[in-house]
Amino acid sequence: MSDEPTSQPDERMDGRVDTDGVARQRPVYTESQVIMTTVKAVIPFVMTYGLFITFHGADTPGGGFQGGAIIASVVLMIAFAFGIESTRAWLANSTVVGLGTAGVFLFGAIGFGPILLGENFLEYTAYYPVFGDLLGLKEYEFVKYGMEAVEIVGIAFIVSGILMGLFFALAAGDSHSEPNEADLREGELRDGVDSATFGGESDD
Amino acid sequence: MSDVLLALLVTVPLVAAIFPLLFGLRYENAGWPIALAGSLVVTGLAGTLAWEIFTASTETGQRLVHEMAGYPAPYGIELVGDGLSALIALLISVVSVAVLIYSRSTGPGSNAFYSGFLLLMGGLLGMTLTGDLFNLFVFLEIVGLITYALVASDDSGMAAYGALKYLFLGTVGASLYLIGVGYLLVRTGSLNMLDLQARLADIGYTEPLVQAAFGFILIGLMLKIAVFPLHTWQPDAYTYAPDTVSAYISALVSTTAAYALIRISFDVFTVDFFAANQLITDAVVLVASISIVVGSLLAAMQTEIKRVFAYSSVAQFGMIVVAIGLNSRTALLGAVIHLVGHGLMKATLFMGAGILSSAYGATTISDYAGLAKRSPITSGGIAVTGLALVGIPPSIGILGKWYIALGAVESGSWSVAIIIFISTLLTLTYVARIIETLYFNPPEATHEETAASESVEHVAVGDEAVADGGLETRVATERIVVVAVLAVSTVALFASVDLFTELLDPVFGRFFQ
Repeated sequence: MSDEPTSQPDERMDGRVDTDGVARQRPVYTESQVIMTTVKAVIPFVMTYGLFITFHGADTPGGGFQGGAIIASVVLMIAFAFGIESTRAWLANSTVVGLGTAGVFLFGAIGFGPILLGENFLEYTAYYPVFGDLLGLKEYEFVKYGMEAVEIVGIAFIVSGILMGLFFALAAGDSHSEPNEADLREGELRDGVDSATFGGESDD
Repeated sequence: MSDVLLALLVTVPLVAAIFPLLFGLRYENAGWPIALAGSLVVTGLAGTLAWEIFTASTETGQRLVHEMAGYPAPYGIELVGDGLSALIALLISVVSVAVLIYSRSTGPGSNAFYSGFLLLMGGLLGMTLTGDLFNLFVFLEIVGLITYALVASDDSGMAAYGALKYLFLGTVGASLYLIGVGYLLVRTGSLNMLDLQARLADIGYTEPLVQAAFGFILIGLMLKIAVFPLHTWQPDAYTYAPDTVSAYISALVSTTAAYALIRISFDVFTVDFFAANQLITDAVVLVASISIVVGSLLAAMQTEIKRVFAYSSVAQFGMIVVAIGLNSRTALLGAVIHLVGHGLMKATLFMGAGILSSAYGATTISDYAGLAKRSPITSGGIAVTGLALVGIPPSIGILGKWYIALGAVESGSWSVAIIIFISTLLTLTYVARIIETLYFNPPEATHEETAASESVEHVAVGDEAVADGGLETRVATERIVVVAVLAVSTVALFASVDLFTELLDPVFGRFFQ
């Protein structure tokens, strides 16, 4: 395996040869003033739009899934404009994993709450006797805001975290030769750990 | 009436799945203890559920219902636990614990693997407990996606190939199932299983849309179960996946899909549908019969040990599907027993094969020559379970086959009984070949080193158990113990037929009223 011939130079190879004698692909990141300026101008609006979509959904068009995807696209745009590696360094891996896991945890917590109060899983109206006076909401409004809560702190967190994680995990396949393709194919399941190990490597 | 157990059974593993990733940020090996704790909790819950249903005296008490979010049944999604689903839930949780104990030293050890493991368990339990056709599709997709990922978690490129093949075919299967459910929704406006049962009875079973719906659901689930012409993903997936994953998915994933087919066939479409559509019934029996014979033949032709077991599953699931087409209470009892038995047997066989492959690098039948002397416990486990798979009494293997064959004879389908007999003979040929190689063939001198032959002599004088533990220095003891315990359980469950009938009687009473 060690005397594997250096692969044929094709249009994707820039002709540079790495220390181990294998022709490398052209660098993923090319700095561009146009893209950086555009992204800087656009991301505040995209972020606002993502939050806007996220905070709708119970009785209006929108929802946590779509909103979370738009919010994740902010990070993707930053990564394209400023380089994936520097974005990875800026956005700690624990943040990405934390987003995804916190989303599931909070979703679960909102769902388990009514069970503790003696009702069914996710039965939002069970919260009415506890928080009704405090929040000043009517019983039926608990269904609406319960769904909103699940969408905002549950689904939006999960979707944005998973999308960012997937993006970084897939991008890692380009710049690190350590992980094998199987790790990457695991996608959402593995992203956290993959990125976690990469973080450790770069510290060395 | 609302039973919290059902909601907990599905949600506990799903929520627990985040903790291996979360704690994985701090601790390298956080995944295994968390997954084991989660599985033990689920086993406790499943045991409680089965006990509650078993001890409930009245007819109505044996069907536990949890209305999600408190919405009533035909409109909301409900989780339902009865004797049949409790049995499958118990199988899922017990096999999960066994596989986890087995996986402690062998991996794949990443925290993400254990997250996937817990997600898969939650998905399987969801499929088992849901009372809603669309909800079943969602869980089917969860199970599918996680299974593709777990199959690919081996380092080899072939594992990725197996996973990709499974992904294409599995997604087609799930889509076909969804089309069938869509047809039902269009015609009846309902997705709840029991509600659909009543509505379909009003509409009539010979309507083309209803027939088409059943056809799509049948083909979709057959793809997931891996019945003969639709099995092509399965041998690759089982062979190239890591040993732990092979054992887990071969024992549970197809099993749960087969459970779903039984549930939909008898709880949604009911026996009247089969009576009204003789052509469909005959087609099911025909396809399943072909699957039994061809699966057994293909298994007998293989040289790679995991492939033998994989093709053997094609034949065994043929028997379970044939029981659906037979429309006989006895045969269906056999099918459910075989579902549980096959799960336990295949888990044992794949785990046994995993031990021998990690200890001696043995992956083909000829590699097994003389290994019985070097690892008597594992070989014994494989031999006992193999004989159970053939259907040598006393074992759970004979129970399932016996009742399916008996049901076939009762309903006048002698051909099916004969096919099961032929398949038993074919199973005997490949199991006997494995046992013969293990116990009676001398180790091949050509490919063994001198050190190996020395150790064989060492075994001959030493105590068996010590030799087993002492020689397989690279194999952790608990892996051997798991295989031994499961192998014994396949024999011990021979005595459990009364337990099965008692749990399943109320359910079958509804199916065959």
